[in-house]
Amino acid sequence: MAELNIVEKVIALEGVELLGNLTPEQLARIATIAHEIRFPPGKIVLEAGKPADALYVVVDGAAELSREGESLATAGQNDVLGAWALFEEDDPMPLTAKTLEDCRLLRIGRDDFYDLLADNTEITASVFSTLVKRFRKLVEQ
Amino acid sequence: MLAEPGVAFRLLAFQLLFPEPDHMMRLGRLKRQMFDIRPGEHLRTWAMFAYLLFVLFAYYILKPVSRAMFLNKFDIDKLPWLYVLIAVFGGVLAYFYSKLAAKTSLRSAVFWTMAISVASLLVMWWLIRMRLPWMIYVLNIWVGLFSIVLVSQGWLVASNLFNAREAKRLYALLGMGMVLGAAFGGEFTSRTAVLVGTENLLLASAFMVVIAYGAFRLAIFHSAGAVAHARAAEAGETDFSFRDMTRDIWRTRHLQVIVGMMFVTYLVDVMIEYQFQVTAKSSFHGDQLTAFFGQFYGLYLNGTEFVFQLLLTSAVVNWFGVGGTLQILPVAIGLTSVATIAAPGVTSAGAVRLTEASTRYTLNRTGMELLYMPLPKELRNRIKAFIDICVDRASRGIGGVLLAVLTGSWLKLDIKGIAMIVAALCVPWILLANRARKEYVATVRKRLEARRLDFESARVTVHDAATVRLLETAAVEAKPRQAAYALGLLADAPHYEIRPLLQKLALAPEPREVREKMYEIAADLRWDGVLERAIREIRAGGEAGDLPRAAVPYALSVAPDRARLAAELLDDANPQLVEGALEALRGDAELAEELITRDWLNRMVRAEDPRRRALAAAAIGVRGDRGTEALHGLLVDPDPLVAGAACRAAGAVKNRAYLFALVSALGNPRLRGDAVPALAAYGDGICGALADVLLAESVPRGVRRQIPRVLKNIPHQRSVNALLAAMGNQDLLIRAAVLKALNRLREANPQLDFENQFITGQILAEARHYFELHAALAPFRNGDGCVRACRLLARTIEERLRHTLERLFRLLGLRYPPREIYSAYLAVSRGRGEEASAAMEFLDNTLDRGLKRILIPLLDAPEHLGEHGRELFGVEDRTAEEAIRELIRSRDPWLVACAMAAAAELKLRSLAPEIAQAAHESEEEVSEVARAAEAKLAA
Repeated sequence: MAELNIVEKVIALEGVELLGNLTPEQLARIATIAHEIRFPPGKIVLEAGKPADALYVVVDGAAELSREGESLATAGQNDVLGAWALFEEDDPMPLTAKTLEDCRLLRIGRDDFYDLLADNTEITASVFSTLVKRFRKLVEQ
Repeated sequence: MLAEPGVAFRLLAFQLLFPEPDHMMRLGRLKRQMFDIRPGEHLRTWAMFAYLLFVLFAYYILKPVSRAMFLNKFDIDKLPWLYVLIAVFGGVLAYFYSKLAAKTSLRSAVFWTMAISVASLLVMWWLIRMRLPWMIYVLNIWVGLFSIVLVSQGWLVASNLFNAREAKRLYALLGMGMVLGAAFGGEFTSRTAVLVGTENLLLASAFMVVIAYGAFRLAIFHSAGAVAHARAAEAGETDFSFRDMTRDIWRTRHLQVIVGMMFVTYLVDVMIEYQFQVTAKSSFHGDQLTAFFGQFYGLYLNGTEFVFQLLLTSAVVNWFGVGGTLQILPVAIGLTSVATIAAPGVTSAGAVRLTEASTRYTLNRTGMELLYMPLPKELRNRIKAFIDICVDRASRGIGGVLLAVLTGSWLKLDIKGIAMIVAALCVPWILLANRARKEYVATVRKRLEARRLDFESARVTVHDAATVRLLETAAVEAKPRQAAYALGLLADAPHYEIRPLLQKLALAPEPREVREKMYEIAADLRWDGVLERAIREIRAGGEAGDLPRAAVPYALSVAPDRARLAAELLDDANPQLVEGALEALRGDAELAEELITRDWLNRMVRAEDPRRRALAAAAIGVRGDRGTEALHGLLVDPDPLVAGAACRAAGAVKNRAYLFALVSALGNPRLRGDAVPALAAYGDGICGALADVLLAESVPRGVRRQIPRVLKNIPHQRSVNALLAAMGNQDLLIRAAVLKALNRLREANPQLDFENQFITGQILAEARHYFELHAALAPFRNGDGCVRACRLLARTIEERLRHTLERLFRLLGLRYPPREIYSAYLAVSRGRGEEASAAMEFLDNTLDRGLKRILIPLLDAPEHLGEHGRELFGVEDRTAEEAIRELIRSRDPWLVACAMAAAAELKLRSLAPEIAQAAHESEEEVSEVARAAEAKLAA
């Protein structure tokens, strides 16, 4: 299977809630730091209790989300694993994500993401806006 | 061949008004100009049209009948006194009408006015049949009031049903309803008076009023709430009086101008009416006079008005704006009055009357109604009826008295003399119209500005003793941040002696924030009252990082042995103390040169601790770089703390040898914050070099995008020139940064020259680009056959449209008042009804005609963008394939990538050559997309 090009990466990233406020071109800049990786079935992508340093977007395949051995959900195409890992440097992951089949994922590393934010203030502003909306929603709940 | 003269005349008028090559295009434009009724507007528009038509129909039955009856029964010298009677009774009615309008809803006011009108007509019909001469006076007075009340009510209803932008499109059509009603009414009277008897026409008039009421109910069918809730005043203000209304006028210059305009208009109207009736009475008698009036008002006058309204009003208002439109009437009257002066008679007086009345009911009426529009709705509603009725009557009454004096036994002015007076009155009238234009724009501008938060008004000033006591208590007892703020305010308070308070604070273990402020204030005062405490803190070495930053600079500014103390601090192991010492030495070059030796610098530069290397850089910034090359190395230090300090130092010494390193630092997000002000500190001398970097394709984009940030901090014409040269850059981010920088420079330095002509060219280019993008978006707008790549393409184009609009407004901000243009941009992009409407009015009255012609259709009529693009720039509709082909050729990398992905998704194999070309010419990321698209199309 051919590597994803930048347009395909943007289409995959459109489903990420954290990036929901970004324009297609801003997503294209995120796409430049989103690296395609492949996992065989049974591979642990994120491990509960350990910190993560990247966010993953499922392009193809499926991954199981579990806690203490109990299966909670299955992540499929366009779902995001470790959505808030970009902002939680030392906090352990609450869930384990393990691939159920051959998986193709996009990985966005925290350091790359912060470098990109430093270089693109309008992306930072959009991400802040999304975070603020989410906090407000949580407070209202 | 055109057989019908009327049709030939209209087409001739089209040729004159719209001199463009394509006939279909011109017809479409005329149709839009006159009948630009948008979805959801039809019922209320046509119903209001019918309302005004039938009210005018009724009036133009009454007018010739009443005037002919009066002139046949009484001598002409009674006519001025009839005007006075109308004024007196009109004033009384205006007062009571305003009371009614303020205390009831607009809907009820209309109902009761019409019901009373119908009842009055029936009673007068019955009394006139009794052959009572005084009833002719009553009828004339009543008729004079009838049209004013009902027509002004109609416009009041319209102003509640339509916003300012809708009004600008639709009022011309409503005005045409009035013209048609008047024409039909006059013609109806001239043909039926002999058949049914003059007095019986009153019944026909009453019937028309009933139909008009039906039209009113239809007009408010979907907006009954707006009209039912609309009042001339708020609940608490309904009990307004004549004094309240005159106070409103006294306070609002805009209203004063409206009143002044109306006063002169009706004063002149009375005089022209008098001239016309005197000459008509001398030429016609009895039934001939009635027939003449019917024909004049029905055919000549309204025929002219109809042509004016159909062909001229919208175009003139669009072309000349409100002020220019309002000047046409006095200019036209002034010119035609010359004919009456030269050859007095029914023909010349009729010509003046024809010019005056036709222009007043068409161009002037539309201009005056638009003049009301920028006023707040409540004020508009409250005052409008009063002005329309009361000012109208008063000015006519004064006109009547003036006529009685002028034509009386003392002055004995004839028609020629009256014509001279009219011509003279036109001069102040023209000046007033010009003033109206300025007030109109000023009022619209104020409404826009009122939506901006004025941060400056939030400043606190300390004058009174109670506030001072409050702040003194806060400085001692409040939380640290509040206490420090209170100290700052007290330090700025005029005539306040702060030293005792500082002394008191120095004795107490105050928090760091308060001490920081204390040292800052003491340093500003050059007062050593808290030096002892500062020295104690410095000696303690800032335990636990508790030493205020201001302590060292303060101590070194007032200490008697400052040189020894500074030397001691420079060698201290605590970097904070060294930094404080350097800060204090910044203002004393001689001492800095003496204490910051080359040995000291070398020692610091070689230190492993990056904080000490950073201090070395800071020291070079303080003493200069004479005799040392250390700053070159520090600028490329791997530690951002050191490199940032080196950038600041380079900005302080302003040696061009560091320019390359500083420009390179712009590409590093961690150094950019220091590099930008450092470069700006060099001043206009480096603008040329920065311009070269900005234009150099070989320099990384990340660096070039930051150059405008530097230039905007150098307020010099060279910065403007450098930015203007880069305005057309292909990289949209660079272009946006350039425009932002220019906007900032314009706002802070309006005296700089931004090359208006060049900016206009750029605005037109962006406008064209907007229409082209819109045409490219059209095939994807409804989403037919669109999957993911197509949707992404559509979203990208929409985003490009938004950015193009922003650039357009930024460019406008370089030519017109930047704050107002920014407010207008916010209002237009949010698209909220009243706010957007006010913004459009502002633009309509601010932009030059050439720009307005392009931009107003772009902003105001989204559903007609395709047509406007075709007319203005020849941008044709596109199929999906044509649109994608052009986008692939656009040289906008991201748009090209999306277009190629969409082409692959839609299986547009005919685009393979363009995709292959793009794969060859583009950067790697776009080439990858091209190759993927080629593979997909080949599959």
